[in-house]
Amino acid sequence: MIAEEPKTKNVYEREDLLTGCQAVSQGVRLADVDVIAAYPIRPYTEVMDALSKIIADGELDAEYIIADSEHSQFEIVKHASSVNARAFAGSSGTGWCYGFEALVVTATDRLPVLFLVGNRALDDPGAFGVEHNDAMAVRDMGWLLAWVTTPQEALEHVLIGYRIAEDKRVRMPMALAMDGAFLTHSQHMVKIPTAEAVRQFLPPYDLGEGRLHPDNPISIAPQVNEDWVMELRRQNWDAARRARGVIKEAYREFNAVFGERYSSPFFTEFMTDDADTVLIGLGTVCAPGRTACKRLREKGHKVGFVSLRWFRPFPTIELRESLKRFKAVGVIDRDFAHGSPDDGGIVMHEVRSALYPLKNRPAITNIITGLGGRDVSIDDCIRMYEIAQKSKTEDKLDNFVTWIGVRE
Amino acid sequence: MIKRVEINYRGIFQKNLGKKIGSDIVIIASRMGRIGFSNGRYSDSPERNGIPCKYFAFVSHDLSEEELEAECGAKLDIDQCDISVVLDDTMLKGVEPWGWHGVRPINEKVQPNGTLLVVTKRTPDELLEFIAKKPYSWKLATYSGDLSFGGLWVFRDDLTHEKTLGAVAGIDSDIIGIEAAEGYLRYKTPKEPARAEAARLAYEEVRKTVRTVKPGEGVEWKHEIPVLPKWFEFMEGAAVPAVKREFSLGPKGQSRNETFKRGTTKNQRPVVRFDLCTKCTLCWLECPDQCFDQTDDGLYDIAYEYCTGCNKCAQACPVKECIVMVDELQFTDDSSPWEAYKANPEKYTEWAEDRKSTGRYIHPMVTGTGLEFLEGELVPFGGKRASPKK
Repeated sequence: MIAEEPKTKNVYEREDLLTGCQAVSQGVRLADVDVIAAYPIRPYTEVMDALSKIIADGELDAEYIIADSEHSQFEIVKHASSVNARAFAGSSGTGWCYGFEALVVTATDRLPVLFLVGNRALDDPGAFGVEHNDAMAVRDMGWLLAWVTTPQEALEHVLIGYRIAEDKRVRMPMALAMDGAFLTHSQHMVKIPTAEAVRQFLPPYDLGEGRLHPDNPISIAPQVNEDWVMELRRQNWDAARRARGVIKEAYREFNAVFGERYSSPFFTEFMTDDADTVLIGLGTVCAPGRTACKRLREKGHKVGFVSLRWFRPFPTIELRESLKRFKAVGVIDRDFAHGSPDDGGIVMHEVRSALYPLKNRPAITNIITGLGGRDVSIDDCIRMYEIAQKSKTEDKLDNFVTWIGVRE
Repeated sequence: MIKRVEINYRGIFQKNLGKKIGSDIVIIASRMGRIGFSNGRYSDSPERNGIPCKYFAFVSHDLSEEELEAECGAKLDIDQCDISVVLDDTMLKGVEPWGWHGVRPINEKVQPNGTLLVVTKRTPDELLEFIAKKPYSWKLATYSGDLSFGGLWVFRDDLTHEKTLGAVAGIDSDIIGIEAAEGYLRYKTPKEPARAEAARLAYEEVRKTVRTVKPGEGVEWKHEIPVLPKWFEFMEGAAVPAVKREFSLGPKGQSRNETFKRGTTKNQRPVVRFDLCTKCTLCWLECPDQCFDQTDDGLYDIAYEYCTGCNKCAQACPVKECIVMVDELQFTDDSSPWEAYKANPEKYTEWAEDRKSTGRYIHPMVTGTGLEFLEGELVPFGGKRASPKK
């Protein structure tokens, strides 16, 4: 659970009413980012509106470059990062996909840029609402990928994200994902850390021997073909594995500076101690999910909620150890993987795969919901719990996936 | 306990006003030790000029922020509200923010004993001629003010923001208290006491104007609310059948989209003096929504249900006093003006002149143009020939 008060005094300078996007802009200011590249697409855009104002107000000294497309936008920050500038960009939905070529090479070049992904449906048809498929597109490309659920977490994960991404043992770009509308555009009171506290937590960006500079002549991304690619992939594979340890370290350090904000780095458990059935999901679905959980607890049901934060690297061991305690796990997907095994969603496949080595696995069921920004209510989550509870005894093979919230 | 405030505003022109009100309700509530958050109805975007949109503020004294978020923030729209603020009284005729939404009553979400809070120069009784009846009693309160339009994206700093905060406090102190609202405004703008004073005045005003509306009081709602198809009931591949193009002379001669009429976008409608018309065709050509139907006598009827009040026809019309934009609450239906004219030219013209009166208010649609007041002219039927605009 999240402790309310920081141990350390004076780590916050003030409290402001901020949307998720505005909270990220405050994180970018505090991280003292050097280069920002902007290109608009809803719902992430507001972070760039906020940053342009922060720079105009003299609160941040950064290059703010308006690109002609997402592809250029992502290339700009990739190159900036290579010369040891801390860089920030972001996008949403099909804009994110338009720059995909640049996203892939940012990971291969091991440049630790931080991107905000304001999750948006991959239109057509025209849709602004949340779906996780956009951010999920980089899940196998050597990216760090995490979801936040409140503006406060959003601000904090800009700092946590840069620290992990820039760590010498990791050097991977970071996609900080948040649900479009429900978080990007929802205004909450946010505690703003002091610059001093941030300095204690986030060291300066130092590429060391990897810095592209006349004084340090190197060539990045030459043509290498069969002679080098496999070894490069092996390096990247190893970095993604090492990242798990670095993530744990970063949250320990964050808690040391800001008080016990995070009980566990990869996911947050709620009412799971004696639970037999849990739901697990990414993003803001945790709010109705946990509230539904509380209501069912009042009626004597042994249910819990696991809010998954880190998706890449996937917390295999930790999640396996956690979920093996339960009889049934309902996996919530705010994404789709049409034609995949059992026609389930992406998160379900990852969770089920992590549980496979166990001798006694919990029953797994899959819920697809909230696509294209469709809302997910407390009552919807109560239904999800009922479905997961039934899966303990029912043969779910023929009816593995349940769509909730679709007109049928 | 949850208090829900809905803020109805006109897209783009009042967006920042709506957002500021929502934000400040949360900030004032949190200064009082309450929990709150604010968001907008995201599906309203992108906000076309004048389209009815919503912002929300939620306040609780006892729930955690997460529970409040789960109850209110995880939803796209609310089921009901304690206060529904209306920042333009012409929205009382109904709101249709997007296709397949239907024209909804402005008080749709007002719960039993909840309040519809309207900034207007009219009385609650006058407003009730437009508002849908409900099966339970609810309240209607007004505070006086002009339409706060500042052009695209522009916040018109005319104290509507402060007045609304005071009015909300006047209706329900469990949302925000008036002292807290005044204290916050004084803290934010210590050199501008008028802001806190405006809030106090509106606070006192709504406590005087508030009246209970009895079950069944109000108008019968004539607009149908569409039912959307199930997933297997429509065409695959993100394709939507278009309206087949058809045309014949006369009123409603053109085929039009029945599922998105957009008429609730307007706060003014063009009134036409058919007797002054020179049949120059400019209104018909310029109308971006193809609202003008050519008739067999060469005049142009208007399909008001589809008119968004953009003012282009009135600007294009070369004849003085021939097409004039008039406040939408002067009209109770969308019937054909041409038919009324043909039935009785003299009576129609008299009626049109009565609606037009002589005051002309041109709200800023473009940033920086500002609100214009012009003096119009009464042109009696047959009393004067068409004359060109200067």
